[in-house]
Amino acid sequence: MLKRSNLLLLLMLSFVLVFAACSNKDEVAKEDPKTESPTEGSEEAKIDTTPVTYSYFNAATSLKDIDTNTTRIGKILEEKTGVNFKVEHLVGDMNTRIGVMVASGDYPDVIVPDAAIDTLLDAGALIPLNDLLEEHGPDLLAAYGDYIQHMTHEDGKIYYIPFGPTVNEYIPNPNIDQGAFWIQRGILKEAGFPEIKTLDQYFELIENYAKANPQIDGMNVIPYTGLTYDWRFFAFSNAPNHLAGYPNDGGVMIDMDTHEASVYADSEYAKRYLQKLNEINSKGLLDREMFVANYDEYLAKLTSGRVLGFFDYGWQWGQARDALRTAGNPEREFMALPIVFDENTKDQYLDPPAFTNNRGVGITVSAKNPERIIQFWNELIKEETQKLVMWGFEGEHYTVDANGRYYRTEEQLLLTEKQEEREALGMTYFEWSWPRINGSFSDGNAVEPRRQPEVALASYTEGDKEYLNAYGIETFAQLFSDPDDRPWYPAWSANMEQGSPQQIFNQQADELVRRYYPRLVLAASEAEFEAQWNDFTTDYRKLDVDAYEIFYTEVVKQRVRGEW
Amino acid sequence: MRPVQRPKGFKLFLHRCKEQRALLIMSLPFLIWLFIFRYVPLYGWTMAFQDFKPARPILEQTWAGFKHFEFLFSNPRFLEVMRNTIAMSFINLVLGFVTAIGLAILLNELRNLSFKRIVQTISYMPHFLSWVVAASIVSYALSMENGIVNIVLVNIGILSEPVLWLGKAEYFWGIIGASDVWKNVGWNSIIYLAAIAMIDTEQYEAAEMDGATRIQRIWYITLPAMKPVIIILLIMNMGYILDSGFEAQYLLMNPMNMDYAENLDIFVLRYGISMGNFSLATAAGIFKTVVSFIFLFSANYIAKRLGQARLF
Repeated sequence: MLKRSNLLLLLMLSFVLVFAACSNKDEVAKEDPKTESPTEGSEEAKIDTTPVTYSYFNAATSLKDIDTNTTRIGKILEEKTGVNFKVEHLVGDMNTRIGVMVASGDYPDVIVPDAAIDTLLDAGALIPLNDLLEEHGPDLLAAYGDYIQHMTHEDGKIYYIPFGPTVNEYIPNPNIDQGAFWIQRGILKEAGFPEIKTLDQYFELIENYAKANPQIDGMNVIPYTGLTYDWRFFAFSNAPNHLAGYPNDGGVMIDMDTHEASVYADSEYAKRYLQKLNEINSKGLLDREMFVANYDEYLAKLTSGRVLGFFDYGWQWGQARDALRTAGNPEREFMALPIVFDENTKDQYLDPPAFTNNRGVGITVSAKNPERIIQFWNELIKEETQKLVMWGFEGEHYTVDANGRYYRTEEQLLLTEKQEEREALGMTYFEWSWPRINGSFSDGNAVEPRRQPEVALASYTEGDKEYLNAYGIETFAQLFSDPDDRPWYPAWSANMEQGSPQQIFNQQADELVRRYYPRLVLAASEAEFEAQWNDFTTDYRKLDVDAYEIFYTEVVKQRVRGEW
Repeated sequence: MRPVQRPKGFKLFLHRCKEQRALLIMSLPFLIWLFIFRYVPLYGWTMAFQDFKPARPILEQTWAGFKHFEFLFSNPRFLEVMRNTIAMSFINLVLGFVTAIGLAILLNELRNLSFKRIVQTISYMPHFLSWVVAASIVSYALSMENGIVNIVLVNIGILSEPVLWLGKAEYFWGIIGASDVWKNVGWNSIIYLAAIAMIDTEQYEAAEMDGATRIQRIWYITLPAMKPVIIILLIMNMGYILDSGFEAQYLLMNPMNMDYAENLDIFVLRYGISMGNFSLATAAGIFKTVVSFIFLFSANYIAKRLGQARLF
C-alpha cells in the first residue's frame, strides 16, 4: 500500500508540473496546439481516435437524453478522443432501475448510480480504475491530487470518480444556496434595515410587520412557513442545528474539539426551536397548512409573495426565487439571514469546502476498451475544457478584462442563463456527473461563474444593490460568518452499510421526528407540549441512538486523521 | 347388443383431451406464459430467508432463517400499519361496490340517452388520470385557503370555518375512500351496466303490466340479475384485501396524518426497497400472498356453502 501511494504521489507530482506548464503555455499561444510540451505531445500521439460510442446512464439528474457529440463541447472532445457518449437519464425509480441492471448483468458502459452506488459495488459491477488512471489519466490524477485517498476504497482500489474536488483556492458562493432563515425584503426596508441575529428578533420583526400589514395584494399574509413534504422534511428538522451554530452535517452535530458526534433531534436546541414555533403558532403566525402542503403548493405559496419568512435550503426553492425575480418587485424577494439562538453564537450556515465521496461516476464491467473513456475524461478535466464547460467560449459567453479576470456582460449573462444555449453548448450535461473540479483555475478565476464575484455583482439588480448598500456588504453571503475548518465535512456523506443498525435507526428516527414535530409545534398548551416532548424523547431514546452516534464519531475521527 | 362401453378414469381423460384438442392447443401458450411469469419467479421467494445481496449466485447468499419475518412482525409499527391497510381496503371495497352498483342502476333508469352518455363519460374520466395528478387535484380541493370543498361547505353553512382536511389523521381513511370513489366509480360501473344489459327487457315490461313501481322493478329484477356478477367480483376482490393501494396514500400522506395513512406497501417501501433490503420486501410479499390466499378461499367457500355463484 505504502509503495503504491508513494508511486501515485510521484506520478501526481510530475503531472502537476506538466499540467501547470501546459496551462501557462496555453495562455500565451492559445491558437497553436503544436506548442504543447513534448510529454503531452507524445501522449496525445498514442491516443486512438477512431470513433466509438459508449452508453452512459445517469441516475442523478433528469435531462434530455442526448449524444454528447451533438453539443459544441462534446464535439470538440470527440475530435480529440474519438469518443462519443449516448447519455440516458433516469426515468422512474432509481433502485428499481439499478436493481434490474444488477439482476440481469446488463450494464451501460458508464454509470452515475447516485445513491444506489453500493448496490453496484456489492455486485462487483464497477471496474477498478487505478491502473487505467495511472496510464491514461494524468490530468485526472493531478486534478484529484489531494483527494485520491478519499476516493480509494479499503481494498486500495478506486471504483468511481466523485465530482468536484476543490483545486487551487476555495471560493465561497457570493449568494446563499444553502440553509438560511429567509425574510421578505420589504420588511427589512420598512423597519429601517435592522441587524437581525437571533431567532427572537427575527420573529419579532415578522410579527410586527404581519400585524401592521395583514394583507398583501389583497391576500392574507402567511407570516411564517416551511417545507415539510416527504423526504424534504429535513428542511424543517435541520433548523435547530443551524440555530445552534453548526453547518449541515446531517443528523448529527460534531463537536469541534472532541470530534464526538451527537444527535440533535431530541436536544435542548430542538426543544427550543419547536417551542418558539409553538409560540408563533399560538399567536396565529404560522402557516396553517405548513405540515400538509406538498412541494408544489409550498413553491406556489412562496411565489405568491405573501410569505414573510421561512427556513429552507436555497437550492430547494430556486424555482420560486426565479419567479419572484422575474415578477420584478424587489420588495417581495427574500433575503437570507444567518439566524442563531443567542447573540454570541457564531453562525455556520456556509458550507466549508466539502468533498462528497459516496457519489460518483464509474465504468462497468460491460465497457470495452475502458482506457478510451479515461482518455475522454482526462481531456474533459483539463483546465481549458473545464473553462468551456463552466464558462463557455471566450468573447461569446464571457469576457476577460485587462487583469485576466473573467466577467460577463449583460448580454452574456442573459445568453448563458438560457437553457437552450446551455444545452447546445453541453454545459448542462458536463457541469456535474462527470469528472470536474471546484474552486478556482490556476489563474485565480472561479471554476463556477456563479461564484465569481464579478459575475455575481453584475447580476445584481438595482433592488439588490439597495439592500447590499444598506447593510454595507458587497455580496449577500457577506452577512454570514466564514466557515470554520471542518476536515470531515460533510459527515452525512459517510457510507452506511445496508441493513446496518445505524441505517435502521436513521429510518426509525426519521419517522418519529416526522410524527412528533408537527404535534409539538401545534400543541394547544404548554402542558401538552411538555407531555408530547416527554413521549417523543422516551420513544426516541428507545431506538439505537448509540450505534448511530458511534458510527459518525468514528467516521469523523477517521477523516480527521486523513483516512477517508 | 352389448351396451357401449363408456370410458372411465384415465381413459376418459384421454378421450376428452382428444375431443377438445383444439381448445387445449389454443390454451397451451397461456399455460406456458403462466408457468414462466407466475411460477418460475416463485423461486425468488427464497430471498425472504436470506440476507440477499443482488447479483450474487444463490450459493454465495447467507441464509437468515426467519429473521426478516421476525423484523416485520415484531416492529412496533406493524400492527398500526396492518390496521390502516385493512381499514382502507375495507372502506374502498364497500364504498366501491355500493357506489358502482348504485351508479349502474341509476344510469340504467335514465331514458335520455345522450344525457346518460355524458354522465357516463364524465364519471369514468378520472379513472384515466394517474394518481399523481389525481392526488394533486384532491389536495387542492381540500386546501384550507381556497379549496372547493371548504368553500362549498362553509357557504351552505355546514361548517362555520374551513377545516384542514389533510391535517386531521382521523379523516384520512374517509378522504382516501372518497377519492377512490371519485376516481373509479364510472369505470367500475361499466361491468354492472353490462350485466344489466343482459337482462331480458320483457321482464320489465311484464312487471310494469303487473303494476310494479320503479323501485320494485329495481329490487326484484335488476338486482337479482346482477347478483352473480356482484358475488364473483366480491370474491375476487377479497384476494386483494391487503392491497389497499399505494400511490394515493403515499402522495396524500403528510406528517400530520401518517399515523392513519401508512399502509403495508408504504411500510415495505420505507424499510425494504428504499433501504436496499429486498429480503424484507420479499418477506412482506409472501405474507401478503398467504393472507390473500386465505381470504380468497374462505370467501369462495362461504359462497359455495350459501349456494351462490363462486369462482371455482
